[in-house]
Amino acid sequence: MTEAETTALLPAGLRDILPPDAAFAADLVQRLRACFAGYGYDWVDPPLVEFEDTLFDGAGAAMTNETFRLMDPVSQRMMGLRTDITVQVARIATTRLANAPRPLRLAYAGDVLRVKGKQLRPERQFTQIGAELIGSESEAADVEAVTMAIDGLTRLGVAKLSVDLTVPALVPQVLAALEAPARAAAAVRAALDRKDAAGVDVAAAPLGQGATVFGLLLRAAGTAESALDKLARIPLPDAARREADRLGAVARALMAALPGTAFTIDPVESRGLEYHTGVSFTIFRAGVRGEIGLGGRYLAGRAGAARAQEPGTGFTLYLDPILRALPEPKHGERIYVPFGTPADAAAGLRENGHRTVAGLAPEANGDAPAEARRLGCTHLWHDGRIVPVAGTGP
Amino acid sequence: MPRTQPLPGERANDPIVLALPKGRILKEVMPLLRHAGIEPEPAFADEESRQLQFATNRPNLSIIRVRSFDVATFVAFGAAQLGVAGNDVIMEFQYSELYAPLDLKVGRCRISVAESAELAGKDDPSRWSHVRVATKYPEITRRHFAARGVQAECIKLNGALELAPKLGLCRRIVDLVSTGRTLKENGLVEVEKIADVTSRLIVNRAAMKTRPAEINGWVAKFGAAVEAYARAA
Repeated sequence: MTEAETTALLPAGLRDILPPDAAFAADLVQRLRACFAGYGYDWVDPPLVEFEDTLFDGAGAAMTNETFRLMDPVSQRMMGLRTDITVQVARIATTRLANAPRPLRLAYAGDVLRVKGKQLRPERQFTQIGAELIGSESEAADVEAVTMAIDGLTRLGVAKLSVDLTVPALVPQVLAALEAPARAAAAVRAALDRKDAAGVDVAAAPLGQGATVFGLLLRAAGTAESALDKLARIPLPDAARREADRLGAVARALMAALPGTAFTIDPVESRGLEYHTGVSFTIFRAGVRGEIGLGGRYLAGRAGAARAQEPGTGFTLYLDPILRALPEPKHGERIYVPFGTPADAAAGLRENGHRTVAGLAPEANGDAPAEARRLGCTHLWHDGRIVPVAGTGP
Repeated sequence: MPRTQPLPGERANDPIVLALPKGRILKEVMPLLRHAGIEPEPAFADEESRQLQFATNRPNLSIIRVRSFDVATFVAFGAAQLGVAGNDVIMEFQYSELYAPLDLKVGRCRISVAESAELAGKDDPSRWSHVRVATKYPEITRRHFAARGVQAECIKLNGALELAPKLGLCRRIVDLVSTGRTLKENGLVEVEKIADVTSRLIVNRAAMKTRPAEINGWVAKFGAAVEAYARAA
């Protein structure tokens, strides 16, 4: 046996999920699926691997560097392993379900694989659970996406959620209105990305008087109440003003609908929102590092294709930070059924929703409780009754 | 995976941890801290103290003192919410979970490429395709050279970089330069500046999003301190 076989080393960023965590994770996915179904979202299940050209189409282009590729020996074409399921669902919506009535509501869960984990989230394979609402431009659609994400998380018991709202298109629109040269625009965006207010003022200075709005936008970030107030007073070019007003309307509707959730607004945020266009959001949970999920508006479909691109919104939740935000799962109740117990006794227990663990050989020294304890069972089937096993229990 | 300890975010009035770098920068940052109204407990000034975490006059603010590179790591992972780090460290790690909202304008220096004076005389950088460089900053070095089409083989050292060319470990180094005296004493010359460096106030992204009022409050206090300090100087 080689050393690798004995130590079972896995490639970086990949891991085995063991009991009881694996069952717990599967249960969470199931509960979210039920929650989304309750809002009228139908389940879809795209494949793990697609041809590169469909995977990187439109919104997928942002993830080319993160994709594992392999050659399809059958068609001799390059394939890519999915890095994000949203793109696949958007593809389904605009091709195979192109004739389905709009708005189209689809939900999904599955694993994705990325070439590099981040330092803070080294996982290269992780589970996404999400929903997409395609074909509606309305504010109500934006509100539905956030509401459903928060509802799903709350039902799992993830409390103290905080939602950061933004419009990734806002800054590019102001830059475009100012006709900023590429170099100057990049300097402004870099300073905005650092949240460096003084740096923004310096970088924006060469762009003239109109560029002072970048500093104002950055300083407007904060709790939703204060940010909305400030945002309303910033002089913006028309296109950007429409986006900002939209953000304001969605934020007000959400604050009214979800009083238990904290809302912040950051008009200049762009991290993690590479392909989003309109109102977008990132979900945080105080004390859990990184984000729990994100979502927002994008354009579904291929730019320049015969069929026009469709407005879509939706969100993706990540299973691993959700698990970190919840108490550790425990093994549930399990009843040890000693060797020699008639089969119909155990069957009767299972019929009533119990979990049974059958003894396959006579217990050592005839000590059934000891054997139950050794196997991690909480209860024992003894004399036709369920008896708790001392020293165990959930 | 599921946690085993209580989450830090679960209590109201959660403590804020400020991570400060040991050494030279610390002396320059202390006046700013005082301007911002933060007074650490006496043990903090005692360099012999083995204590790692220090209380301050602010009931929910404590200070940790760690190596400069570790400041960014503590803050990026959310173990500290605020920190002070040079943009050399920020550039090296490029953590997506860090914001650097304020230039504290202390710890001024630059990160540069240096080589022996003898080599500098006859070297033609445009002919490079591969260089071997000793540095504390392998990422910055690799990116800097890659941008001009040169492959950099980095030898990671943690100090005394100036020795490397002298003893034949490699011919070039990438390091912080402030006055240039250390380079000169070791027969090296600065051939290229990669970036200017100053210390920045850094903030954990999730903390900024989930506790905006408190965190922005501290950023504003430090901002006022930087201005007051600049006026006084």
